Amino acid sequence: MSHTVLVCDDAIFMRTMISDILAQAGFEIVGEAETGSQAVEKYRQLKPDLVTMDIVMPDMGGIDAVREIVKQDPDAKILMCSAMGQQALVVEAIQAGAKDFVVKPFQPSRVLEAVQRVLG
Amino acid sequence: MSDAGVVRLLVFRVGNLVCAAEAERVREILPRLATTRIPGTPPLVAGLVNVRGTLVTVVEGWRALRQPEPPAANGTQSGTTVLLEVGGGRKVLGFTVDEVVDLLAADAAALDRRPALPGIDPTLVRAVGRRAGQLFVVLDTDALLTPILSS
Amino acid sequence: MDLSQYAELFLAESREHLSACNQLLLEWERQPAGLTPVSGLFRAVHTVKGMAATMGYARVTDLAHRMESLLDVLRRGAHPATDELLQLLFRARDALERAVELSVVGRERELEVAEIVADLDHAALRLARAKVGAAAEGPREAGGVTPSVVPPPPEVEAAATGRLVQVTLRPEAPLKAGRALLVLKRAQALGVVLAVTPPQTAFEAEDFEGRFSFRLDSPAAPDEIETALRAAGDVAHLTVGGEEVRGSGLEGLPAAPAEGGRSRHIRVDLRRLDGLMDLIGELATARGRLNQLAAERRDPAIDDVAIQVSRLSSDLQAEIIQARMTPVWQVFDRFPRLVRDLARELGKQVAFRVEGKEIELDRTILDELGDPLLHLLRNAVDHGIEPPAERRRRGKPPEGEIVLTAVRERASVAITVSDDGRGIDRPKILERAKRDGAVDAHAEALTDDQLLRVLARPGFSTAETVTSVSGRGVGIDVAMTRIRALGGTIDIRSEPGKGTAFVLRLPVTLAIVRAIIASVGPERYALPLTYVAETVELGTVTTTVVEGREAIVLRDRVVPLVHLRRLLAVTSDREPARAPIIVLEMGDRRAGVVVDGMLGQQEIVVKGFDAPQGTLPVFSGATIMGDGIPALILDAGGLL
Repeated sequence: MSHTVLVCDDAIFMRTMISDILAQAGFEIVGEAETGSQAVEKYRQLKPDLVTMDIVMPDMGGIDAVREIVKQDPDAKILMCSAMGQQALVVEAIQAGAKDFVVKPFQPSRVLEAVQRVLG
Repeated sequence: MSDAGVVRLLVFRVGNLVCAAEAERVREILPRLATTRIPGTPPLVAGLVNVRGTLVTVVEGWRALRQPEPPAANGTQSGTTVLLEVGGGRKVLGFTVDEVVDLLAADAAALDRRPALPGIDPTLVRAVGRRAGQLFVVLDTDALLTPILSS
Repeated sequence: MDLSQYAELFLAESREHLSACNQLLLEWERQPAGLTPVSGLFRAVHTVKGMAATMGYARVTDLAHRMESLLDVLRRGAHPATDELLQLLFRARDALERAVELSVVGRERELEVAEIVADLDHAALRLARAKVGAAAEGPREAGGVTPSVVPPPPEVEAAATGRLVQVTLRPEAPLKAGRALLVLKRAQALGVVLAVTPPQTAFEAEDFEGRFSFRLDSPAAPDEIETALRAAGDVAHLTVGGEEVRGSGLEGLPAAPAEGGRSRHIRVDLRRLDGLMDLIGELATARGRLNQLAAERRDPAIDDVAIQVSRLSSDLQAEIIQARMTPVWQVFDRFPRLVRDLARELGKQVAFRVEGKEIELDRTILDELGDPLLHLLRNAVDHGIEPPAERRRRGKPPEGEIVLTAVRERASVAITVSDDGRGIDRPKILERAKRDGAVDAHAEALTDDQLLRVLARPGFSTAETVTSVSGRGVGIDVAMTRIRALGGTIDIRSEPGKGTAFVLRLPVTLAIVRAIIASVGPERYALPLTYVAETVELGTVTTTVVEGREAIVLRDRVVPLVHLRRLLAVTSDREPARAPIIVLEMGDRRAGVVVDGMLGQQEIVVKGFDAPQGTLPVFSGATIMGDGIPALILDAGGLL
C-alpha cells in the first residue's frame, strides 16, 4: 500500500506541484490544506503517513501547525517546505518537531529524497 | 492571387453571369437555407441562416451583381449558398448563386487581370478567365462583400 | 520536469496575490499603525517568490526577495506606514506585476529592475540600522542603566565518554543550520550529545559553512551511528570516533503510482467553460426540437423521455451557468488603487468605497465591464469631485466620496458609480448640445435621459480643461456601446452641487436567457424576460398620446408604445385588434412593445452574428429556434 500524504500550502500552485511530484512517485495525496488550522484539522481526520508543510501561511502558520500536530501525534512525520532565507524558521520548525525540510524551488529528486528520509 | 502557379477556382452562375471565386476562400457549399430577415438591412442581404449552430449572414447573389431575379427563387428553396471567407478568413458570409458549375484549376498566368467586361462593376473583377470557350469573371469577393458588413 | 504546464497557474495565482497587495497597501495607508496589512503583504510577496523560484524566473524571485526583506524589517520593527514607504511599496508591487507578466511570456530579459531593487535595499538597510540604533540607545534612555553584559556560554568540556563525531555538510546544501540541527536531532535519538562545536547558536550565522563536531555517548556501534546520522541528508563527510566513513546512496523509492486525492476546488480554463456553454447551447436547441417532435407525435413514451431530457439538460445548464459565475470583486479589486493614484495625481482627496463585492456575474460580462467602469471612475475623480479648496468653499468636507456598488435585481445586476461632487453642469451642456444641434434650439432643460444621450455622443466633452485623465469626453459613448453590447443599459442621475451617479444594469448571464417568443406578421422575435415587467392587451387599457407618441396608462403611469410591426417594417397583414403589449422596465424607463402574438416562453441560447450594414440597433443577438431557423433577439435597451 502506498503512503498517504497531506499537502499544506496556501498557494494552489505549490500544492499542485508537490502533489504532482509525490503522486508520480506513487504516493497517495489524501488531502490538501491552505492554512495551518486546516492542516491540524485534516491531520486529525486523515492521519496521513506524511505531511508537507509550508512555513508561511495565513491564519495559523506552518510552525504552529507543527506544534499542534506533534501534540496530537508525537510520531507525526512532517516535512517542512521552506524558502531560501528562512533558516531561523526552519530551525524553529525542527525544534517544534518537523522531521526534515526541503527548500524552494523544488527539485523533484530533492523532495523525494527528503520524503524518503522522513519516512525512514 | 499570386501571379504564378495554379489557382483553384469555384465557377458558378448568377443570372446571366458566369463567375468564379478562389476556392481557398470557399468554406462550404450548401443548399439554399431558410433565412431570417434582418430588419433595416438593404434588400441584397437575404438574412441569417443557421449553419450547424453558427449564424451566418447571407447575401443575395443576383442582387449584389445586379442580375435578373432567378425565376424559381421566389418562395422556393432552389439555388445554392456558397460560404465565403471575408477579410482574411475572419468572417464568413453566405452568397447565393443559381448553380455551381465547376471546380477548376486555372493557370494564374492565363487569367487576364481586371479587364473591363460588360454587365459588371469593374471594381468587383479580379480577373477574367476562359472555360470551354466562355468568359468568366473571377470576383474580388472582399470588394464585393466587405462593404456589406458594418465594421 | 516540464514547468510550462504550471505557467498559467503561476500567473493566475500571482495575479491574485498582487491584487491582494494593492488592497493591503491601501489598508495600511488608511491605518498606518496597523500590523496586519504588513504581515499580509509579507505572506503574499513570499508566496509569489516561492512560486517564481520554482518556475525558474530568477528576476521575479530576486525582486520578490528584496521586497520581502523590506517587508520583513517593517513587520518585525512594527514600523508605521509613511508616505515614502507606501510609494516605494506601490512601485515595487507594480514592478513585480510587470516582472510576473513578462516572465510568463518568456520576456524576463526585458525587465528593468535595478532602480527599484536599489531603492528597496536602501530602505531595508536604513530601517534596519535605525532599529539597531534605537535598540542600543533604548535602555539607557529609559533608565540610565548600563545594559548587562551577557557572559559568553561556558565552553562545554569535552566529555571523556562518547565518540567524537565530525560532520561536513555538502557545500551546496541549503539552510545548513537546519540540516545540522537535523543531524544533532538524530544523534540525540541515539544517546547523549555534548560539546557541540561551534555551539548550536552559531549555526545560524552567515559564515557557518556546515562543518561541526560533537561528542555522542551512545551504546550504538560506529557504523550504526554513521548510517543514522547520514540519513539526516546533505552530509558530505562524516567520521565517528576518528574513523572516517564514506557513505551510502539513496534507497529506492516507492514505485506504484496511485490516484492522488485533491482538494475540492479546481481551476478551469475559461475556454473550457465557453466550450461547455456552446455544447449546452446545442443541447438546448436539440431539446427544443425533441419537445416539438414529442408534441407532434403524441406518444406518451416519447413524451416521458422528452420531459426527462428536458429536466436533465436544464439542471446541467444551471450548473454550468453557476460555474461561470464570478464575484465582482475580481474586477473591482483593482479600482481602489486606481482611484487613489488618480486622486493624488489630480490633487483631489477621495474616499473610495466598494459595496456588494460578493455579487456574482457571468465571467464574460464581468471581463467586459472593467473598462467602462474604469472610465466612469476616472470621470468621477476628474470631473465630479471638486478640489479640496472648492469643496470647503461650498461647505462640503474637503474629502470627496466615490462609491461603487453592486446590487442584484431580479435577473440583472445594477452597478452604480456615484460621487458627491459638483454634479453635471446642465445649462452648460444644454448650451453645447444646442450649438452642436444635438437638441432642439428652443429646449429649456435637459432631462436625465437627454443628458445621457448628449454625453454619449462621440467626442462630446464638457471638461473645462482637457486632462490626461479623462481626455476629451472620449469614453462615455464607448462605455455605453460596450454595456449595450452586453445587453445592459446605463442610466444617469445628476444634481448640481450634490453629485452624479451612473447606474449600469447588466444581465446576470449572457449565454442562456428565458425569453418571450413574439410573432410579428410571419416573423418571430425573442424578448428576454430580464427586463419584462408585465404583459397587457391593447384595447383593454387606456391609450393616450404624450408628446406626439402613442402611449398607454398603466397604474397612473404613462408608458409609451413601440409598434414592432412599424419599427421593423413588417409588411404583411394587419396588427390584430387586441395585440399583446409587452411592458419593458429598466430603472425608471418603461416602454410597451406591441406585437401580433405571443408564442410562449422558452430558454434561448444567445448567439452573436455579424450585423450587416443598416441593421436596426435594437438587436442584441440571435438564437436558433427548435425548428432550426434563427430568430433575432430584441434588445430592451435599444427599444427604450
